[in-house]
Parts: sequence; C-alpha cells; structure tokens
Amino acid sequence: MISVANLKKSYGDHTVLDGVSIEIQRGEVVAMIGPSGAGKSTLLRCLNLLERPDSGRITIGDTVVDLPAKIPVRTLETLRKTAGMVFQSFNLFPHLSVLRNVSLAQEYVLGRDAKAAHQRSMELLERVGLADKAGSYPARLSGGQQQRIAIARALAMEPEVMLFDEPTSALDPELGLDVLAVMRELAASGMTMVVVTHEIHFAQDVSDRVVMMADGGIIEQGDPAQVLSSPANPRTQRFLKAVIDR
Amino acid sequence: MNGLIEQWIDWLPSLVDGLGVSVQLAVVSLLIGLPLGLAEALLVASPNRIVRWITLAVVEFGRGTPTLVLLYLIYYGLPSQGLVLPAFGSAVVALSFMTGAYTSEIIRASLQAVPRGLVEAAAALGINRWGTFRFILFPEGIRIAIPALMGFAIQLFQTTSLVFLITLPELLSRAYSIGSTTFQYTSVLALAGVLYLLVTLPSGWLAALLEKRMGRHLA
Ligand SMILES: Nc1ncnc2c1ncn2[C@@H]1O[C@H](COP(=O)(O)OP(=O)(O)OP(=O)(O)O)[C@@H](O)[C@H]1O
Ligand SMILES: [Mg+2]
Repeated sequence: MISVANLKKSYGDHTVLDGVSIEIQRGEVVAMIGPSGAGKSTLLRCLNLLERPDSGRITIGDTVVDLPAKIPVRTLETLRKTAGMVFQSFNLFPHLSVLRNVSLAQEYVLGRDAKAAHQRSMELLERVGLADKAGSYPARLSGGQQQRIAIARALAMEPEVMLFDEPTSALDPELGLDVLAVMRELAASGMTMVVVTHEIHFAQDVSDRVVMMADGGIIEQGDPAQVLSSPANPRTQRFLKAVIDR
Repeated sequence: MNGLIEQWIDWLPSLVDGLGVSVQLAVVSLLIGLPLGLAEALLVASPNRIVRWITLAVVEFGRGTPTLVLLYLIYYGLPSQGLVLPAFGSAVVALSFMTGAYTSEIIRASLQAVPRGLVEAAAALGINRWGTFRFILFPEGIRIAIPALMGFAIQLFQTTSLVFLITLPELLSRAYSIGSTTFQYTSVLALAGVLYLLVTLPSGWLAALLEKRMGRHLA
C-alpha cells in the first residue's frame, strides 16, 4: 500500500531523513517510535507531501511520487485524498462548527452535495461517539473530543491510509483513552495506519509492526512484542527504558 | 447658557448635513479602500518579484505620505496633468489610497497570524490553495484583523476632517464657515466635536462588541 524508497530530506545542512526505505502492506498498522528529533514527523509529513522530500520515491496506492522532479498538482491532490492525516494539535477549523469541519472538504474536494456530505459526516461523528456535538464549535470541546472529530474529518475523505502524528501527546492520559479507542476500532476495521506514538501500550496491543527511528533513519523494526520487550539495538533499549521510566 | 443652546439649535441642521458628508466620505473610502487593502496584502506576498516590489512601493507611499499631501496632490496636482476631480472625488481617491495602504498591513499581518496548523490541515484534506484561502485563511484572518480594522475606520472618520482644506462641505468646514460669519469659533467647534464623538464613541463600542462576538468561537 505504501512504499518509500531511499527518501532524503535536509534542512540546510541538517539531514533529517537519511535515505529512509519502508514497505507497508494494506491493512497493516505500523507504530513508529523514537526519540525527539529522530525525523518521525518529517517522514510522516513527507508521505502526504506537507513536507517536500529532497529525493527518493514515495508510492501510496496507485500514486507514485518521484523526487526531486516537480510534483504535478493532480498527483498532489490524489495523494492527499488517499492519505488522511491527524495532527498532534488537532487543527480543527475554529470558525466552523463540528459538522462543517467534517463536511467542508467532502463538498469542496470530493464534490459531494451538501446533503450527502451531511449524512456522511453524521455517520462518522456517530462512529467517533460525538454525533451530539455536531452543532458545537471546536473551542467548546475537550482535547480528546477535538481529536476524535479531527479523525472523523480525515475519514470523511474516504482515505486508504491514515497517518497519525502523536495523536494523544497533547491530551491528558484519561482523555487520550477515547482517542485510542477510536483508533483501535479503526485498526480493527482494516484501515492501513502509520502512527507516530509514545504510547507503548497502544503500539504493543494494536500495531502489527513497530518501527524505531533515530537520527534520520530506521534503526530497528519488527514484531511489536519482540521490538518492545527484547530490542536488539542498544539505542532502542535505551529509548524504551527512558519511555517506561517516565 | 440659553443663548448657547439656541445658537447650537440654529447651527445644527447645517452641521448635521456636514456630518452626513463626513460619514459618506468615510464609508465610500472604506468600501473602496478595504478591498484595495486586501488586494495589496495578497500582492505583497506574490511569488513574482516585480509585482511584489511595485505593491510594496504603493503601500509604502500610501503609508509614508501625509494624507494632506495626498489630498493636495490629487485635488490641485492632478489638474495640471489634465485630470480634474471634484472635491468629493479627490477626497475619496486620497482616503481610499491611504486606507488601502494601511489596511493592507493590518490584513497581511492578520493572515500571517492564522496558525500554520490550520493551513496544513486544509492541505492534508486535499483542499487547494484557493479553497484554503477562501474557507480558512480569509475567515480566520479577518477575525484577527477586525479590531485593528475597526480602529482604523474610526481614525479614518476623524481624518475626513482634513478635507475642509479642499473646501468639501463636510462637518468641519461647515463649522468653520459658521465660525467665520458669527465669530463664535469655540462654540461651533465644540458642537462639531460633540457630533464627531456621536459617531466615534458608538463605533468604538460596536467594535468592542464585534470583537467579543467574533472571538466567541475561537479558543
Ligand atoms: N521546518 C524545519 N526547519 C528546520 N528544521 C526542522 C524543520 N522541521 C523539523 N526540523 C528538524 O528536523 C529534525 C527532525 O524533526 P521531526 O519533527 O521530524 O522529529 P520527530 O522525530 O518528530 O521528533 P518529536 O518526537 O520531537 O516530534 C529535528 O532536528 C528538527 O529540529
Ligand atoms: Mg514529531
């Protein structure tokens, strides 16, 4: 479903992604862990081209992006329709109601009529347990509720892949639970997911594979139980110890 | 005291007429100047260097030149170039130009103050640049800009008093002409001041109210 080959990205002379390659199957849930500055967010943001990689190749579904060539607008559009993204800081549109947040891109990008968009939005709000908040504005909602709406908003585009960048890091642990529950359900439904997370439990229980990043590269990956409980790389050992001790 | 009240009642119709001209001038200048300001704000961020420079020059000229100089240039200067504008037209041109320049800076800063994350969220949903501007950047930016724009509008309204120098019969020039026939300058100017306040004070309250309402949904 996703294939990344030799992806490189630098800011100035600071190399952030140093030739990353990874293959992700349809329906697979990949948890990405690693220390701050490892390049996890950058990799995720390169996948939907919020960040422009310097070189390498990204394939998502049928869409292929070869860099450093110019990316056609059509490619950009299909790529972003194929991959939905959920941000650490939710990024709901504060001037729009919850319902409008979920409906806007359905109408504008997918060309759904208002009625169909409304119906789909309500289904998704139901799915994340927030149908009763359709008329509220984001500022009225808790962080956990906002994040679940952000998930519904991304799902409304019928993506084939969902990218999550630390979706619960800005939340109180308790509020994060509702978000994680929605993500579990999504994983169980067969969605292909790439989740950058510090939630070791989530990685353990839900993911099919754990990928450990450090210094702009993948240093270890494999079965969650193996990587999380008996990592081979000393760097992974140190990182996991630090996460668990905290 | 009675005399004063009677005088004021005598003068009021003429001054209220003048106030009408002042308000009209301010409103028309805003109606032209605000879209101009938006256009300038967008063009200043144009990827084309030449467009950017020209816009920047226009903005800096509009902000850097005293309004009175603009007014004189247009009313007295343009006729020497073969273009004669009536006093009201000249005033509208000068004040709109000035409004465009000042509000473009307010609007530009406000658009920049819209959190990057919102623009990224729109991009991640596949919304194109125009859609992002129309549905996200513009509405969010305007909310940020409203207080400063209202403040500017009130200031502009006061600035309309400058046009008495090109003999447009607005509030201040009415007051002056009454003063020059009755020699009651202090009295008539005080009344004119009260009339200005009757517009600026409620506008200020309205601005505060609007700011509160607009901010309601925002965190
Ligand atoms: N726009 C940018 N300009 C310059 N440097 C950047 C930019 N974005 C990221 N970086 C740098 O790239 C490196 C990797 O950042 P990235 O956000 O991908 O790390 P991360 O693994 O997601 O870390 P965290 O766990 O803190 O989120 C960091 O050193 C960061 O400072
Ligand atoms: Mg990150």
